[in-house]
Amino acid sequence: MGHPLSSPEHARHALLYMWRIRKFEEAVEDLFGRGMMHGTMHLSIGQEAAPTGMCMALTLQDQITSTHRGHGHCIAKGADLTRMIAELLGKKIGYCGGRGGSMHIADVETGNLGANGVVGGGIPIAAGAALASKMMKRGTVAVSFFGDGAMNEGAFHEAANLAAIWKLPMILFCENNGYGMSSSTAKAFAIDDLADRGKGYGIPGVNVDGNDVVAVYEVAQAAVDRAKAGEGPTLIIAETYRWKGHSRSDKNLYRTKEEIEEWRTKDPIPKFIARAIEAKLLTQEQCDAIQNDAIEAIKAAVNESVKAEAAEPSGLLDAVFKAVTA
Amino acid sequence: MSDRMLTMAEAVREAMSIAFDERPEVFLLGEDVGIYGGAFGVSGDMYHRYGAERVLDTPIAELGIVGAAVGAALSGMRPIVEIQFSDFTAQAMDQIANQAAKIHFMLGGALHVPMVLRTPQGSGTGAAAQHSQNLEPWFASVPGLKVVVPSNPADAKGLLLAAIDDPNPVIFLEHKLLYKIPGRDPVPEGATRIPLGVSKVVREGKDLTIVATGIMVNKSYEVAEKLAAEGISITLIDPRTISPLDMQPVFESVEKTGRLLVVQEGPAQAGFINEVIAQMAGSSSFGSLIAPIKRLAGMNIPIPYAPQLEKAAVPQIEDIESAAREIVKNWR
Amino acid sequence: METGELINFHVKVGDQVKSGDVLFEVMTDKIDMEVEAPADGVIESLVVAPGAVVEIGKPVLIMLTETEVMAFDFGDDDQPVAGVEVATPAPSVEANVVAAAPIIVNTNVKAVPKARVEAANRGIDLRTVNPTGPDRTITMQDVNGAQLDPAIVKRQAANKALIAKGIEMTRAIAQASFNRQVTAHFDHASFIAAWAKVLRGRPDLAAHEHIGVALIIESKYGSALPVFRDPDQASLDDLRALVASTTDAAKNGKVPVAMLSGATTTVFDLTTYSMSSATPLLFPNQITSVTIGYDSQSSKNISLTIDLNFCDFYDGALLLDALVASL
Repeated sequence: MGHPLSSPEHARHALLYMWRIRKFEEAVEDLFGRGMMHGTMHLSIGQEAAPTGMCMALTLQDQITSTHRGHGHCIAKGADLTRMIAELLGKKIGYCGGRGGSMHIADVETGNLGANGVVGGGIPIAAGAALASKMMKRGTVAVSFFGDGAMNEGAFHEAANLAAIWKLPMILFCENNGYGMSSSTAKAFAIDDLADRGKGYGIPGVNVDGNDVVAVYEVAQAAVDRAKAGEGPTLIIAETYRWKGHSRSDKNLYRTKEEIEEWRTKDPIPKFIARAIEAKLLTQEQCDAIQNDAIEAIKAAVNESVKAEAAEPSGLLDAVFKAVTA
Repeated sequence: MSDRMLTMAEAVREAMSIAFDERPEVFLLGEDVGIYGGAFGVSGDMYHRYGAERVLDTPIAELGIVGAAVGAALSGMRPIVEIQFSDFTAQAMDQIANQAAKIHFMLGGALHVPMVLRTPQGSGTGAAAQHSQNLEPWFASVPGLKVVVPSNPADAKGLLLAAIDDPNPVIFLEHKLLYKIPGRDPVPEGATRIPLGVSKVVREGKDLTIVATGIMVNKSYEVAEKLAAEGISITLIDPRTISPLDMQPVFESVEKTGRLLVVQEGPAQAGFINEVIAQMAGSSSFGSLIAPIKRLAGMNIPIPYAPQLEKAAVPQIEDIESAAREIVKNWR
Repeated sequence: METGELINFHVKVGDQVKSGDVLFEVMTDKIDMEVEAPADGVIESLVVAPGAVVEIGKPVLIMLTETEVMAFDFGDDDQPVAGVEVATPAPSVEANVVAAAPIIVNTNVKAVPKARVEAANRGIDLRTVNPTGPDRTITMQDVNGAQLDPAIVKRQAANKALIAKGIEMTRAIAQASFNRQVTAHFDHASFIAAWAKVLRGRPDLAAHEHIGVALIIESKYGSALPVFRDPDQASLDDLRALVASTTDAAKNGKVPVAMLSGATTTVFDLTTYSMSSATPLLFPNQITSVTIGYDSQSSKNISLTIDLNFCDFYDGALLLDALVASL
């Protein structure tokens, strides 16, 4: 895609996708509150800049693996909003035909290898995708999005090491929102700077303001360039914050109202609007129109999904294995 | 002809080599599969024949390498991952059971995982509890995994070729004690596949049906040959693929013999072979039984070290022989 | 529905009633109904008052019938007179019509699955098969070799040929019943002992290793059928004690598990119901059954039903004569 401030079109893209993520998450919360959505949800409101900035450094063919808090990654990579909402509502036209739900959306067309219900589960998979890219000389990168909590999983360590020793075209993208559910990074890490972990694998570890879509894009693009040049993976630590609880059961007992309020003032969307207007790439009116576009897109997705046919249990048994073709 | 009497290690290597030659997307990764040739010598000279890029030595990181295989499989490759001992799959279980097995279903069929995980299992080498388990039921109980347990070199070759072709994750459990011994039958030349999910009737008899997996097929075969001289005629069925399981030949055979003996190496409790019993008990063939179903399985203990203890822990030829003889003698 | 409310009585103590007279009205949540006298008799007492809520099966009034006068001597002087408790009936609308289905007799016999299939196909009672398998389990060999007594086989063949000449009969209807009046004095224990002894003299008809006499005992829980094994081989005193205690237990719905199986014949005492005769049922795997009915103050009416697949009319007459003689 390119730098968010490189043209009005790029600026519009950055803003539109952040709004789409924000409005998508708000719609999910609304649908959940109305009892229309089953199960649970992990909202990424406040974290929109990180996936948007990262994915603006990617091509359609580049791959990602995502997390339980994965709606943003999915949208930033270009997924269809209707099929996403439909999946959350258990509809036949949903990305997984109702079999996966919020935590398992994948989209082959946009190189999304899927969200993952297991913390750290997607990191070795992204390493494998990067390995395949290297072996097949595809010239693509694989980005694994994960949270700070996943960095203490063995999967992170094993995958980071494999990617490093094989110089895989991979990016380890940590959205450090400060908490693994209720455990703060201060409690879960004995190091202050998570990017220091990169040294342990012999790869660069880079910190970035995860609420600044421009800054995120810049470190992401550098990491992509390095990966595509065959120099191996980069660990990016994007500092950000989730405004909402971990999931629907969260009572926010482990953090203060003041802390949440403080982070709300660091909202990535107005921050980018100010820069885009300052750079004379967008006007306030255009920004308002972009916000409105996002709202309309989500509304249309919800309206279509609600009317869509529910997923049916018939055929479940046949769905376990892909049919063997001679 | 005699040069086609391969060991299982040779047969597996031959199958992998054929797949390597047929498909550029096939590659092997695992601990010490390269220059070392594999802990049990299965990959042998493949590193020299195919190079370090297709015979990939990995660090000791089972979760990472299985995960990498999953990711590569999702991205157009057909990895064969070797885990040095099946016991170590415990390290990789998230990638096996939560990722590889579920991705196709959970993602609504958008993606699939054409991956083979080969791993040696079983007791008899004096390697004790953490290197000797038979873990058939671990894998057979996970929907989304196909599980193959070859009992001889010829089957191993044909089944592995089919497993590599299969668009789904396949767990391929090779018994260590079979690696170095030639099979009863020559291994066919060429790339003949043996379809997964088809049980094999190894020999036919009229008095008793034995269903056994892996190395127990070989032990049961010896028993069947020996008892034939005593006038006891035994049908031996090797499911070969324990998931999905093909029970039809078992039903058909029991309808003729009326007697069923099942044999597995792993512990009796919640073992795979219990599935055979359960399906028999719930089938219309149940009414053909003229004897109670007999199960021979490992003791419900970790595999012990000392040779006499290790032998005692899993069914031996003598156990199968006396069980078979008793069933036929007592139930007429 | 578990209770009914008594609305009013149509009778008072001392009234002479005839069978069919209305005794009282009862109201349930399903239906209001009039309850009729089951027999002729005199109202002895009213147990509950109008307005009372009575559990189904509990007495509402006690009526003395003529059966009191000709009650059995149960060998126990304290035995209560045979009154008829006219209880709150379950309304007939509650009755389910159960379609006739073959009765699967789950014997306590161990047999391999195919032996059961084979036995069922060939009409072999597995209880008659000698088990030679491990843990006394019947094997296929046992079933295949299960020889019915040659006398039975011969007789069966002869009878079947006979029957075939006349009309085709299924086993269910190939039965015949016989009646005789007896004046002898007996109780349940001496009766079943006598009947067992008669059967023991005809092993060709018994076709079992033992003789098990099922005695039907009515209780509020329904009919119980405790089985007395080889009652002719116990002392009469012991048998009386066993019959008495079993009868008490059965009336409380408790029959020892060991006594629930192994019946080879059934005895049904109709006098409990003030009945004189009924065609006794043949239970599966049994070829005889006997009823004791009321005949007169000094005599009983004994009925025998036999299965014509196993014996003929002459056998029936002989058996009944032998029984009557031994009473």
